[in-house]
Amino acid sequence: MTHFKHSPYQDWESLALKERRKEAPDEMLHTTLEGIELKPLYTAADLAEIEYHESLPGLAPFLRGPRATMYTGRAWTVRQYAGFSTAKASNEFYRKNIAAGQTGLSIAFDLATHRGYDSDHPRVEGDVGKAGVAIDSVEDMKTLFDQIELDKMSVSMTMNGAVLPVMAMFIVAAEEQGVKPEQLSGTLQNDILKEFMVRNTYIYPPEPSMRIVSDIISYTATNMPKFNPISISGYHMQEAGATCLQELAFTIADGIEYARAARNNGLDIDAFAPRLSFFFAIGMNFFMEIAKLRAARVLWAEYIDKLFKPKNPKSLMLRTHCQTSGVSLTSKDPYNNVVRTTIEAMAAVLGGTQSLHTNSFDEALALPSETSARIARNTQLIIRDETEMTKVVDPLGGSYYIESLTQSLINEARKIIDEVEEMGGMAQAVVSGMPKLKIEESATIRQARIDKNEDVIVGVNKFQSDDEQQLDVRVIDNQQVRVGQLKQIDEIRSTRNASVVNSALKSLSAAAESNSNLLEAAIVAARARATLGEISDALESVYGRHQAQNQSVGGVYGRAFEHNEQFMELQSQICEFEEEHGRRPRILVAKLGQDGHDRGANVIATALADIGFDVDLSPLFQTPEEIVRQALDNDVHIIGISTQAGAHTQLVPEVMTLLKQQSMNDVVVICGGVIPPQDHAALYEAGVSEIFGPGTHIPDAAANLLDHLK
Amino acid sequence: MSTKQELAAKLLEGDRRALSKAITLVESSHAQDRETALALLDSIMPHTGKARRIAISGSPGVGKSTFIEAFGEYLINAGKRVAVLSIDPSSSLTGGSILGDKTRMPMLANNPAAYVRPTPSGSMLGGVARRTREVIALCEAAGYNTILIETVGVGQSETEAANMSDCYLLLLQPGSGDSLQGIKRGIMELADLIIVNKADGVLLSSAQESATQYMRALSLMQERMPGWQCPVVLCSSTEKTGQSETSAQIDAYFSHAQASGAFTQKRLAQKLYWLEDETIADLVDRFKRDKSIQARYAEAVKQLESGRSPARIASEFVSLLLNNSQKS
Repeated sequence: MTHFKHSPYQDWESLALKERRKEAPDEMLHTTLEGIELKPLYTAADLAEIEYHESLPGLAPFLRGPRATMYTGRAWTVRQYAGFSTAKASNEFYRKNIAAGQTGLSIAFDLATHRGYDSDHPRVEGDVGKAGVAIDSVEDMKTLFDQIELDKMSVSMTMNGAVLPVMAMFIVAAEEQGVKPEQLSGTLQNDILKEFMVRNTYIYPPEPSMRIVSDIISYTATNMPKFNPISISGYHMQEAGATCLQELAFTIADGIEYARAARNNGLDIDAFAPRLSFFFAIGMNFFMEIAKLRAARVLWAEYIDKLFKPKNPKSLMLRTHCQTSGVSLTSKDPYNNVVRTTIEAMAAVLGGTQSLHTNSFDEALALPSETSARIARNTQLIIRDETEMTKVVDPLGGSYYIESLTQSLINEARKIIDEVEEMGGMAQAVVSGMPKLKIEESATIRQARIDKNEDVIVGVNKFQSDDEQQLDVRVIDNQQVRVGQLKQIDEIRSTRNASVVNSALKSLSAAAESNSNLLEAAIVAARARATLGEISDALESVYGRHQAQNQSVGGVYGRAFEHNEQFMELQSQICEFEEEHGRRPRILVAKLGQDGHDRGANVIATALADIGFDVDLSPLFQTPEEIVRQALDNDVHIIGISTQAGAHTQLVPEVMTLLKQQSMNDVVVICGGVIPPQDHAALYEAGVSEIFGPGTHIPDAAANLLDHLK
Repeated sequence: MSTKQELAAKLLEGDRRALSKAITLVESSHAQDRETALALLDSIMPHTGKARRIAISGSPGVGKSTFIEAFGEYLINAGKRVAVLSIDPSSSLTGGSILGDKTRMPMLANNPAAYVRPTPSGSMLGGVARRTREVIALCEAAGYNTILIETVGVGQSETEAANMSDCYLLLLQPGSGDSLQGIKRGIMELADLIIVNKADGVLLSSAQESATQYMRALSLMQERMPGWQCPVVLCSSTEKTGQSETSAQIDAYFSHAQASGAFTQKRLAQKLYWLEDETIADLVDRFKRDKSIQARYAEAVKQLESGRSPARIASEFVSLLLNNSQKS
């Protein structure tokens, strides 16, 4: 047997410099989007900097996992997020999935429900049943869980704005199935802070919204010991463009804020902290994502211990759900998304998630079809059952690189969390707009890197395929859903006892003005068959409806393109346009319907302004009438409609009709966002000039717009 | 709207689209558009001047937009028709702008009795203010009887805003006495009415304190209009308090100004200033557009090489231009 000498690090370094043809070791560093400097090699020497490399799973600070045996004992919960159309259609879909191996439910509600509107509200015409299931009353909720045993099935509900009516209806639906609140298990998303930051699916202003969160935490602490009252979510931050570091730090800071709110509501930390759960996105930066989950567990344990001094070690334990990244999916060459989702799912598993949703490959185009949903679910089942990845706890623990990366994230996140704490906590930080702006800045930088081909996305900005596959995607007839929902609402209104409903709603408003628990009051109203819209209105009458103020980052995109040829060519074209028309091209970037995702719209707006357009922004949640009115008032050349949730089929043609009525035929209308290919023909026929999907190269799109104005 | 007569007629009827197109016309940097715009402005002049022109100023972050949203709603409920113009929105390095007024004033953006029109600052010659005056006239002709002019609260645009409005509202943050030092005295002196905004929740008591301090500071300053001591009003745009008092103080201001004759004087002075400012701006405009002048200017630039004083060259150049125009 030959013995090799232990080689000194310098030997490797000089070899490496030679191979890379570099002068100094610094030239071999790579800086990530997070601002972390990566060395090309990590060694045992790096372990000296690691604080917890000897820690063990199941024990604080849980670096290596919240449970001692992790997947060797029991694998993660396969929890696929789904919901569409009516309660009946969604119920059938859920039961099929359960039969096919899904182990937990995760309910997607439509945007009308999220925003506290019944299906018959005039503002939600285009949104009913589109991006989730339409729920108007406890009757819908009962249908949704028909033949699903709520005492056995864990149910996760993505709901933030209309949490009170939805949670109340869930509890009453269970009650009428014969299941008591204490038997219910599952999770309510109920994370309102990130709504104000990125997702915008709020109803009330921040302060009463925080009270609703803590009332729900109080209620479940007493009555629903198996239920997680909140899922503190970084997911939507990453989707909106946050780096892994920002997602990590702001999510932990959100968690601290909720814990503080619950404690200020009179609860002992150990009465609720063990039931706080988390939700992270898993994107394509494989090792960064693994490190992020490990860092999150350490940070949570540290901050909870420091700020709240719990006695129960479970209060320090971060348990999380993960979902593969939606924003990493592309509409071009969509089968590539199967591969992306697989890599992301592996990162979630190696990071030690407690439950997982894997996206379907067609989600950049539409809601998942039966086939794509099956492949997504099977991705997890294959990892779980075919790869033996589950046989050892935290298999990457002790990797020089993983441990170093985890430590770097911990160090950097502490700085951000401490900054937020100094501002007075996340609620204050959110009101100041700081996190939102930081995330938007990252989103814009990322977009510029993609548009400049510095970051490669296969099939989008490199290795494009000419072979355009036509996918069969799920189509929702929202008008049909709406008609059905309207009939159901009418029936409920005519059969219920109106005076019981009215007095329940009055008590709810009264509770909003006093200190009594809002969920208790909402349950009484739901039981009396008050609708979701009525319950929301009872609270809105006291709290008002929140209206976001848009702040935007200027110059970030343009700076990345300094001296870029295409960029300069566009700018000179704009100057020519200005000379000819007496002003710059002016575009209204508009958000139509109840979808609040505004990353796309904001990134486009700031990029176009940096290119030289004058860009008007519409408020969120606009109707076709409002958009046309704003386009008319500002006399724009172009309306750019951003749509992510399917409302375009109904609302965009309405915009076109209104434009014709106003003789504004010269206004060019373009659409961007998630628009299934089969909707394109109808939109073009209605008069839309261009449709831009996810992954659009913005300078190309700008050139295209200028062509349309010629 | 093929002809300018048609545009003027529609504008006077209060047609929203006509107003919108007319504003584009006066803001246009195109020379031909300018002729049409001047003719339009001339024809509507008899129908202008009847609105209250109110400048709303304050540092970024003080809550101007939310104030305008809440106050505008109050005015509309009182039967007013409100136009909101911004004098200097943010503009990016490359000259494009992001105009977020509609997102900050969602109610006004969609209310039939309101008209919100932000103007991109862009590369407009002579500053945005030059066109804002004209836009005010257009809005008045279209029947808006309250014009709110939002400014950024710093620098030259403040004096310009004061020069085109009847009444200048300054919004201030609640805060300690230190904040008073942060406010430029020059801007305090422009104010006809001071609003301490965000007077709600945890800030209420510090807002009250600030109000007292501002009043004390104001009492040491000279009155901007004889007999008018600038009042300080507490406002909360989120809790919708202070709007009626603001409105009452503005009413009081206007009746005082009208009774004392200050209003007429001010409007006259502003018209003179308009003429003077426009004369200078137009001269500069023509100077820059005229190819033969530009050619001669290029010659003047060349003289720099000979080491002569730029002041001397400029003086000779202008004399040459003026002599030539006298001869022709």
